[in-house]
Amino acid sequence: MAVALQVLQSLVVVALAPLYVGAMARAEAIVSSKRGPSVLQPYYDLAKLLRKGAAVSDQASWVYQGAPFVVFACYLTVSVIVPIITSQPLPLAFLADLIGGAFVLALASFTMALAALDTASPYGGLGASRATWIGSLAEPALIIVFFTVGVLSASDNPYLMNHAVAASPYALVLPTHVLGTVAFFMLVLVENGRIPVENPAGSIEISMIEEGRVLEYSGRHYALMRWASWMKLFLMSAIFMNVFVIPWGLGGAHSLAGGLIAIPVLLGKLAICGLLIVVIDTSFAKLRFFRIAELLGAAFLLALVGVITSYVIVV
Amino acid sequence: MQSLATSSIEGTLLSLSAVAILLAAFACLGSKLFNRYVAYYGFQSVVLSFATAVVAYHFRSAELWVLAGLTLAIKGVAIPTVTRRLVIRRLDLRRDVALSTGLSTSLIIGALLSAFAYLAIKTQDLPHGLVATSVVPISIAVVLLGALAMAVHRHTLAQLIGWLITENGVILAAITLAATFPFIVEAGIFLDLVAAVLMMVVFVSGITRELARATSAELRQLQG
Repeated sequence: MAVALQVLQSLVVVALAPLYVGAMARAEAIVSSKRGPSVLQPYYDLAKLLRKGAAVSDQASWVYQGAPFVVFACYLTVSVIVPIITSQPLPLAFLADLIGGAFVLALASFTMALAALDTASPYGGLGASRATWIGSLAEPALIIVFFTVGVLSASDNPYLMNHAVAASPYALVLPTHVLGTVAFFMLVLVENGRIPVENPAGSIEISMIEEGRVLEYSGRHYALMRWASWMKLFLMSAIFMNVFVIPWGLGGAHSLAGGLIAIPVLLGKLAICGLLIVVIDTSFAKLRFFRIAELLGAAFLLALVGVITSYVIVV
Repeated sequence: MQSLATSSIEGTLLSLSAVAILLAAFACLGSKLFNRYVAYYGFQSVVLSFATAVVAYHFRSAELWVLAGLTLAIKGVAIPTVTRRLVIRRLDLRRDVALSTGLSTSLIIGALLSAFAYLAIKTQDLPHGLVATSVVPISIAVVLLGALAMAVHRHTLAQLIGWLITENGVILAAITLAATFPFIVEAGIFLDLVAAVLMMVVFVSGITRELARATSAELRQLQG
């Protein structure tokens, strides 16, 4: 039963990530008084790209060819170890805790940077350099954010964190938790290239960060890269909702029905998170590149103050 | 006097307000626009007045209600409005360039100072029977951040805001250490009076600055 749930959980992430992105694009269009593409548009894009062959530069090595698979596998790994539809650990959840998950995310980012440099395209190098710079600033903030939840649950296992918050709703309004939540939300925006950092709908090469790294890809390689980045957004939003904001409504590890019921609940939670991201996307402007450091500094500071105020709990 | 339990609703509200006050102090430290300084200070004072009202509600203390009302009226509304109307708009102050360190440096020093406040005030060593033991280090951190703002900024108005933040921290410490002191009411009003005096200093300095600017423009005309 647990194995079936494990497979179901990864399937949910793989299958519903495009829907999440499509719904967000549609909602964004509606908010700005446009009709927007269908919610299923990402699926059509994927189907089209997967049918096409890939044009690969003759200067590219095996790094470039293999990177999409590694990146996709990284996000698939993360989908196994975090609470998406069950609140109890599934068979493979022993693989890594949240910090381990952050390492896997960093590995995916590193592979993308390598692939971007491999073809020696100028935009690839530009994107890789920018994304690595942002990543090097985001990583310490991310780890401190995990500490803020860690002091509540005395653990860095996402399942135990979920239990600790779910067990006492009082924890939701503790300063430590509130600050950690805000900081993590800022990191979700940064890591996924949403608006204060990068315009997800923009296609101007000179200002690209995340997109710049996959600019050389085409066909099925590009499909995998896009799919992987959608999975990343889906996963981080799911962690945000399931661990930080609404830790209820997840199934147990032993009933398939619970897992199946948890799927619509998860979609409801993601709708809330997506709406929040859409509102920010449409009401803020992109930051100048060197101001991003200040945004990440603010996230770091919020999380640090959160950890400092954790003394409130001890007393 | 029994203390406020951390897990009660009042205790939670008090510690959340304390954190908001701390964040407002950080926001002041990390900003470069005069308008923002005043806005953050006003926000901080409103939150402080709310925190005072929470303590007043818990202990049913009339003096603290008076203090909450005074804080809201004077520091939350009057001082920001007056500063905005009479100083910022009249002198057309926008961007503060007179800083002795960069923003990031001052934020890092601020983070270190708040960590120091926690190390210096060991909450477990504080005597029992205080209102909210856990908030005391935060209030000390706010005092230190206000002092840091005064040290980092060179413009008189920014220094005044730093001083006012320090004063907010002192009031926060006062209401969380001993809620029933009638002295606090007097002290609050007294410190506000001193603030008013400092405001006068700002006006004077502003006028001097206006004159200085006029003189330099005339000199340039002479050269022309």
